[in-house]
Amino acid sequence: MVAVFEKRNLRDFDWLTAILAVSIVFFGVWQIYNAQPTENYWSKQINGFFIALVALAVISMIDYRRVIDAAPVFYIFGLVLLALVLVPGLGVKVNGQTAWLKIPIIGQFQPSEFVKIPTILMLAKYFGARKASSLRLKEILIGGLILAAPVGLIMLEPDAGQAMTYFPILAVILFLSAVKVRYIVLTIAAGLILMPLAYHVGVQTGKIKNYQQERINVILDPENADPKGYGYHTVQSMITVGKGGVSGIKGDTETSQAKLKFLPEPHTDFIFAVTAENTGFIGCISLLLAYALLLSRLVAGARQAPDRAGMLVIMAIAGGMTFQIFMNVGMVLGFLPVIGVPLPLMSAGLSAVLSTFIAIGFVISVKMRRFVN
Amino acid sequence: MKLHDQAQNLGIRVGTIQVIAFVLLAILGVRLYFLQIVKGEYYSDKAENQRVRLIPIPAPRGAIFDRNGKLLVDSRPTYNVTLSNEQIKKIDISDRIEDYAGGLKVDRQYLVERLNLIRKQPGFELMVLKENATIQDITWVEAHAEEYPELRIELRPQRFYPLGKTLAHTLGYVGEISAKQLEKPETIEKGFRPGDIIGKGGLEQYYDEFLRGKPGFRKVIVDSRGRVQSELEIVQPQAGQDLVSTIDLDLQLAAEEQLANSSTKRGTIVATDPNNGEILVMASAPSFDPNAFVMRSTTPEGRKEISEYQTNEERPLLNRAIQGRYHPGSTWKIPESIGALQQGAITAANSNVACGGGITIGNKFTRCMGSHGSPPLSYAITKSCDGYYYRLALKMKIEGLIEMIEEFEFDKRSGVDLPNEKISQTPKSWMPSVVKREGKWSDIRTVYASIGQDTVVVTPISLLRAVSIVGVQGKMFVPHLLKEFKSIGAVGKEGDLSYVPAKSSFGFNRPDPKIVEMTPEQNKIVLDGMWGVVNGGGTGAGIKINGFDIAGKTGTAQNSSLNSGGAQDHSWFVSFAPAYKPEIAVLALIENSGFGGRHAAPAVKAVYNAYLLKNHSDLLDGQQIAKK
Repeated sequence: MVAVFEKRNLRDFDWLTAILAVSIVFFGVWQIYNAQPTENYWSKQINGFFIALVALAVISMIDYRRVIDAAPVFYIFGLVLLALVLVPGLGVKVNGQTAWLKIPIIGQFQPSEFVKIPTILMLAKYFGARKASSLRLKEILIGGLILAAPVGLIMLEPDAGQAMTYFPILAVILFLSAVKVRYIVLTIAAGLILMPLAYHVGVQTGKIKNYQQERINVILDPENADPKGYGYHTVQSMITVGKGGVSGIKGDTETSQAKLKFLPEPHTDFIFAVTAENTGFIGCISLLLAYALLLSRLVAGARQAPDRAGMLVIMAIAGGMTFQIFMNVGMVLGFLPVIGVPLPLMSAGLSAVLSTFIAIGFVISVKMRRFVN
Repeated sequence: MKLHDQAQNLGIRVGTIQVIAFVLLAILGVRLYFLQIVKGEYYSDKAENQRVRLIPIPAPRGAIFDRNGKLLVDSRPTYNVTLSNEQIKKIDISDRIEDYAGGLKVDRQYLVERLNLIRKQPGFELMVLKENATIQDITWVEAHAEEYPELRIELRPQRFYPLGKTLAHTLGYVGEISAKQLEKPETIEKGFRPGDIIGKGGLEQYYDEFLRGKPGFRKVIVDSRGRVQSELEIVQPQAGQDLVSTIDLDLQLAAEEQLANSSTKRGTIVATDPNNGEILVMASAPSFDPNAFVMRSTTPEGRKEISEYQTNEERPLLNRAIQGRYHPGSTWKIPESIGALQQGAITAANSNVACGGGITIGNKFTRCMGSHGSPPLSYAITKSCDGYYYRLALKMKIEGLIEMIEEFEFDKRSGVDLPNEKISQTPKSWMPSVVKREGKWSDIRTVYASIGQDTVVVTPISLLRAVSIVGVQGKMFVPHLLKEFKSIGAVGKEGDLSYVPAKSSFGFNRPDPKIVEMTPEQNKIVLDGMWGVVNGGGTGAGIKINGFDIAGKTGTAQNSSLNSGGAQDHSWFVSFAPAYKPEIAVLALIENSGFGGRHAAPAVKAVYNAYLLKNHSDLLDGQQIAKK
């Protein structure tokens, strides 16, 4: 039994997906080094990578169907972790957000990064079990509730950026669960009307804070934004990207924007700006192509998934990842507001790399079992 | 899973998501193309501009010496507390004024003005908040480095006037270039920047270009907080050229002592070399301390001192030698006599004109101080006979007087190498307005003008220039203070972009003297008259020096403007010596002190004595040295 198991593993293991993910991480490590050559973020990232690689290998070996069966357990466990973050003394406050949990031995980590996976599993379990027919409103509401629990807890931290990354997961799952096209059209139309309205009301009632307004204003008119205020990040990020030109400064970081501290958070949220400065248009386009290839591999895997739940898991992961890439790079390129969303596989941070590798582990697990039906 | 088996077009839906993902990535790619390829250079420049800074290295300003190499003005290094504009762009520091004022002991109001200025002029990189920072100030700034990173300590050369009030008007002072000056096109052309130090008044202003030198700079890389990370290039400054002036400090001190001891302590003494126009003495009283403008302009006491200079009714900032205008009184008779001879109103052979004890114009009698019969010219000068000149002027007519005024250039600046020289006012300049108001130019005005009253006011420098020609056959030089600018070496390597070539030594660009035409006979009778003033029992007989004949002319100018309170006359003495081969010409004016022979003449004599002590001490044997 064991022998058969391993033989199949080696043959069916999706090497290309794994190698793509690993390559992006190492490209990221180089950029983290460029961002902070004098700090040890890059070596920490390598350590984190090895932990994540082990996790990927283990997860890919496990039959995802067992895991999906146990999804409610993981889901509840995830919610408990998110709740623990909010307990004074356990949660760690960084930059005004209590998003970190400090556990003895394990260390410090960000539950909101990991809870995405049980949430996906939970949604996949619920929507994967149903018959192929158009979604009913009740089902949509239940999906919404499954999502609302973690999102609500994350908003309490408050970490709007992380919370936002949960929404595309539900959107993808509902879309693939045959939500009626008219609902989609209705949602988009409502969004187009309600978003500016909500913004206006938010500004009037003071729910949207000044700095948040400024972050939006700077996108609309970066040249005239207050370069000292909240527009600073966006303006400096655009300068950093533009400065890279065709082929970048090629690691000559003596006068880099990060070294001279013009670029904030260069190794985390603005790692793409560092990439742009160092490797230029060529490097950036290569990275985007690598992401496109990775996403293609995921979608191809979804098409071959042995069951609906497996397909939903992969597509939710792919959708979430796409959304996060777009939010992060869009922010770096100055056309989306500054929201703290890490760039998958690139930004320094153990939690982010580990959770992404776990997700890719699931994808590989699903793909590996495509012939077993 | 066989997607095509499923209902609801699942395959199409998965494909839709994939397409949306690719479209989003493509949007990022297009945006990247725009930022990096289309606008790459623009952002590259922006990045460079925010990280590369040119930090100027001020050039040491040239020193100023007297003709014998005695130091008059110097620069010395001082610590300044400066405010970095880069730092305060990101914060509002209005609420720190109290802290600065208390910590640095600077005037609060001054700080408010400075902050307003730096907001208005973004060209400021560093603004000086306090000069001559003390150890306490420096300690305070260092101790608050975290709190107030915008404050820095800078070592800069500062102008220093070791002589204080001595020669202050002539030297001038330096100060920060004003906002108004910065707006002028010629200032912009020369590349001045806010915070630059320039000469204000006196030689400092007139020769600023040469004294200033060329600042160097450090090209450095700074981080986002403006802290220097590394140095790319350093270009050393080229120091300003040292100025050797024509001033003789010993004579200057003697002159200033006379003014200080005069009855009103107001007036001016000027001495020149009549053979070339070099100014040996230029004293004006009351005076001011230029250091107040340079070292104390930021402290409450210093600002009070400066404001007192500006509002004081005695006008200590006025250089009376070139900016004061006074009725010349009888000293006016010297150029007038030469004019009359030139125009043929009198001749050297027959120069007698009746005195008559005065003259009646219409029904008004204007009297002479004495009754001199019908004297010749030299006697009229010696005794300062007014009646003679009343009639002489009527003979010359006002047109003749104006011709004389033009001949002696009283209608022009003397051309002295100082800024803001005033032009004398004479019948030439007054005539149009007088004729307009009164319908004609009446004879009484001509009579008054003949003795340097009414429509005649002259600057002391222009009067000395005119009178001193008598001893040098009519040669009228441009008075000047520059003897020589010393050379200065080149900076950098030849061929480098930053190479600054050496500057060679140069002197005053002296134009040829204007020649006031006189025959030797004409010259002699005027000279004889002036000799007689001191040596022939004339109005200045009290200052006679044996062996060093002074030729001069007294003047006692009524001043109607101050007359209401019975103000005393201005006292004049204008002279040169030795009379027949002059080496030095001296003029003194003591405001509101009275008769010229009694007040101005002794002041002039003191300057001659100082001159003799240095150059002909043998002549002082017996009388002067014994006195000391």
